[in-house]
Amino acid sequence: MSVAGSGLRLTGISKHFGATRALVDAELELRPGEVHTLLGENGSGKSTLVKIIGGVHRPDSGSLTMGATPLTLRSPRQAHRRGIAVVFQEVLTATSQSVLDNIWLGTDGVFVRRLARTAQRRIAADTLGRLIDGIDLDAPAGTLSLSERQAICIARALVRDPGTLVLDESTAALDVRTRDRLFAEIRRLTADGVGVLFISHRMDEVQEISDRVSVLRSGRTVSTVDRGDLSVDRLIADMTGTSGVIHGLDRDRPLGDPTLRADGVTLAAGAAPIDLTLRAGELVGLAGLEGHGQDAFLKRLAGVTAGPGAVTRVLSPDIGVRPGNGAKLGVAYLPRERRGESLFESMSIRDNFALPTLRQDRRGVLLSSGRMRKRFAEFVSALKIRLGTQDDPISSLSGGSQQKVVLARWLATDPKVLLLNDPTRGVDIMTKREIYTILDRLCADGMSIVLLSSEVEELVELVDRVLVFRDQSVFAEIPRESLTSEAVVAAYFGQRAGAVA
Amino acid sequence: MSRVQGILQRRSWAFAFVLALILLVVNLIVSPSFLAPERLPATLATLAPFVLVGFASTPAILSGGIDISVGPLATLINCLFIAVLIPAGWGEWYVAVPILLLTSAAVGTVTGILVAVVRLHPVVASIGVFFVLVGIAVTISKQPVPAPPNWSEALAGSFGWFPAAAITMGGVALVWFVLRRTAFVSNLLATGESDISAYGSGVNVTLVRVLSYTLGGVFAGVGGIALSALLQSSQSSLATTYALLGIAAAVLGGANLGGGRGGLLGAFLGAVVIYLVQQLLTAAGVQPSLVQVTYGLVLVLGVLLGATLLNPRLTRSRA
Repeated sequence: MSVAGSGLRLTGISKHFGATRALVDAELELRPGEVHTLLGENGSGKSTLVKIIGGVHRPDSGSLTMGATPLTLRSPRQAHRRGIAVVFQEVLTATSQSVLDNIWLGTDGVFVRRLARTAQRRIAADTLGRLIDGIDLDAPAGTLSLSERQAICIARALVRDPGTLVLDESTAALDVRTRDRLFAEIRRLTADGVGVLFISHRMDEVQEISDRVSVLRSGRTVSTVDRGDLSVDRLIADMTGTSGVIHGLDRDRPLGDPTLRADGVTLAAGAAPIDLTLRAGELVGLAGLEGHGQDAFLKRLAGVTAGPGAVTRVLSPDIGVRPGNGAKLGVAYLPRERRGESLFESMSIRDNFALPTLRQDRRGVLLSSGRMRKRFAEFVSALKIRLGTQDDPISSLSGGSQQKVVLARWLATDPKVLLLNDPTRGVDIMTKREIYTILDRLCADGMSIVLLSSEVEELVELVDRVLVFRDQSVFAEIPRESLTSEAVVAAYFGQRAGAVA
Repeated sequence: MSRVQGILQRRSWAFAFVLALILLVVNLIVSPSFLAPERLPATLATLAPFVLVGFASTPAILSGGIDISVGPLATLINCLFIAVLIPAGWGEWYVAVPILLLTSAAVGTVTGILVAVVRLHPVVASIGVFFVLVGIAVTISKQPVPAPPNWSEALAGSFGWFPAAAITMGGVALVWFVLRRTAFVSNLLATGESDISAYGSGVNVTLVRVLSYTLGGVFAGVGGIALSALLQSSQSSLATTYALLGIAAAVLGGANLGGGRGGLLGAFLGAVVIYLVQQLLTAAGVQPSLVQVTYGLVLVLGVLLGATLLNPRLTRSRA
């Protein structure tokens, strides 16, 4: 029983997580029988909006209505009851359960099956068969490929006979053939009056399937355009929010000798190999939509992970970077998650700083706390770290100051190459500026820096060149002369530079 | 080799099955009368409490948690029956069995609520319940109280050729078999394996979790009855042993401590393995303290072998 024909409207939706405002007064109208695409760069609030529609998050303010009835969704179960089926961005399968159980997961009561097993089997085979061929319904889901598991997640939404279908980057993991069959299925559903909310980072798909496109930027809906008025240039301009070309500061830095070299680094089977030579005094940016390989590449450079291709620290003689030897070779890596990967949350600020470099404070077998204190004090003033006393717990600091402590920790190892994984995420604007100044100064002193950033403006302002990743390889390398936020975002979405004239 | 591995991977209990088979053969060699029909009822009656605490440990493990308190729950039910209900004149089966099973269901539900609603770590919640139960059991039965003649003796004997211990184990197995045919076990396995997938798909994850502990509690209650049948006295001192043997049986039987994989058949075979090890060593005249050393070795080696042979990820990455 489908509830098609009523349409879904979101008005004035706001949502924050801690200090981060994910959605600010966002609007969206999903008409029955349309494919409505939601576009936006990293962190624009797409997934939060999807999770609100799916009943995972509750908005802080604003309203959802279906037809004329207001909706309050407290759990995914309640969303399902209103005919809303969401395929979330992550491929969510229970890997040792059968394909059949995965498809019907959550449709039954705690004990009672809503449908007989034979009927479940027949419908599952029929629905899955419209997307992929030759799947054994009794095989554990974990034995299937990523594309096939994504098809299972889509089938899970389809067997619910939804009135509203949400596909959050569901095509990212699908092979082309399955995607084409999904599009045929979407057209069939919309013809029956189902509203489909579609999220994709592939412009060709967006142009092919959309009836309307809404653009989210920093949690706000900035535009909604009909299919007839669709233009890639306009969408990219809406996503970046700039009405002209913004160039970064002109900077003429002499580059030194090579410090780190990547040769034929391959991030996934079939992806083009990546070469990179980093020079002393150079600041290279890595960018891309979440999960397109920039993160994996940075970890390869740092020797955190291993894989095909070589990463070499250029010395005499050259030495390969492998897991565990980065620090010794003067390669420092600052991980992305401060909480899980960098900080020792119950330890003091000073201990957090000193841990990898305790050797420098040694007196015989003992540690000199005075020496440690003095060493840290130098960094506190150089990096302008705002703290009470060095002995305070690290948790007493703001996110930005914590990040500076972590930065100080790695600078204390006296690195020649600094690899930063989105260092300004969740950092206030003033501290961001200070970090930019520090990075600039480090480069001027001859350090090589690789900066992965999810913030386009930051890259445009700071770096000498940007490598934009797409599908586990470098899609475009943008030199400083032509570095604009439009060029970067266009490359995110697989468009060549110069989208905005 | 890969074909054997394939079978082992699809059936999480297959490894325990092979191990049990080998131990059975060795047992038969050491004492040829081991499987004689006249000994079977007594053998099964001794086996039943092991198997039932193994069953009782399983649902919580499948849900991605753990319940350490099922062993003490079984001994509490044993003490409650023999040291309280029988002296109070409530010892008839149609009075005692409902009281015992409702009590054990209630205890399991409390543990489940502590885990799934209050969100304590399962180890913390069930250790807390563990101590409370041990304390109560010791309070109501400081010394072993011998039981007067009662109906539970029959459960350790046989009806003609039919070993009566099959009733307690079979009863629980039947409940599980029925539940497998409902949506419950699918929901349970999916919740244990990936709670975000289950939640996102609309499974009532909290209720499924609580009910898994309730179910374990009921199974432990049946275990307490089987224990009473075997001992015919109240033994509050057995709590710790059974607590750990139950989990050992489930894990040896292929249940994944991360949740989502395993079942009662595995727990049964795991308990059989533990029992056969014990029998073998006793028959060989090994002193009891060394039997425990062997439990430990069998568990560690068994899980290690099981993990390397059965883990699909490990074997696939080599392929």
